[in-house]
Amino acid sequence: MIRQGAGLWVWAFSLLLALSAWAQEGPASPPPDLPPEVFAIARELRCPVCQGESAAESNSGVAVEMRRLIAEMLREGKTREEIKAFFVDRYGEWILYEPPRRGITLWVWVLPVLGLALLGLGLFAYFRPKKPLPPELLEEAERRLKEPPA
Amino acid sequence: MRSWLWLLVVLALGGLFYWGMQRDPKELPSVLAKERRPAPDFTLPLLPPYRGEWGETLRLSDHLGKKPILINFWASWCYPACYEEAPILEAAWRRYGDRVLFVGINTQDKEGDALRFIEQFGLTFPQVFDPRGRVGVDYGMYGVPETFVIDGEGRVVVRHAGSIDQATLEKYLKEVLP
Repeated sequence: MIRQGAGLWVWAFSLLLALSAWAQEGPASPPPDLPPEVFAIARELRCPVCQGESAAESNSGVAVEMRRLIAEMLREGKTREEIKAFFVDRYGEWILYEPPRRGITLWVWVLPVLGLALLGLGLFAYFRPKKPLPPELLEEAERRLKEPPA
Repeated sequence: MRSWLWLLVVLALGGLFYWGMQRDPKELPSVLAKERRPAPDFTLPLLPPYRGEWGETLRLSDHLGKKPILINFWASWCYPACYEEAPILEAAWRRYGDRVLFVGINTQDKEGDALRFIEQFGLTFPQVFDPRGRVGVDYGMYGVPETFVIDGEGRVVVRHAGSIDQATLEKYLKEVLP
């Protein structure tokens, strides 16, 4: 009897959960149907409001407007580089998700390679096969071993 | 000799990390203010309460180069920052309005909410309506509120992100006032 009651509660709770999904307010206007190229370009741009997200993922007003602008520029026949340059012109290189391979941000690209090279060098030095000992030294050692202890 | 080399590598890396840690990742560069670029032009509809005095639309280039301009991006949903600075901006406009033009850009907002905000603070400087936030992108804006100060030659000299206080606002205005 008690178990039956618990089961009923679980049902009531899941029903409540399902209903609460209805309660969520829908967006003011449905998001525009944008071609995938728009998102491909937006993915390379930072969303200015939400620093950890790209302009493709975010639903903030600025990101939505950025996608709309990208779509407009694509319709005008602008290339991917021209569109990215448009945003760099306004926000600086900060807006690019991938730091450019020049200037100070070149280090971001070079340092990992440099670090790996250093690590390789260190490992090589550590595991390098030791040079065999010169034969005369070995003979000397063997001779000493055979000598009766003084 | 080789230990010196290692020390050098460690010092160089340490220096790089130290330099990196001094940088503020929240500080967002403004290309406009840094390079003192000419203020991007825009033409936006004025909100109804200002149409009698300023006309149906406001074109920035009609006012550029005549006197300094202060542009403030805001939205009614931006609480509390926009609510903090609204009375400060209005007071400054009443004081400096004869020498500086203030323009409010209501961005990514609904007209009804914007009008309620304007009424609440009794804003008397012209307010334009940009529901898409297109002009914000041209100014390299990343979030409301944001304030731009344009000098008498039409160049952007200051970008202030976040709520502005009276002392800072007056400091900026003194920079551009003749």
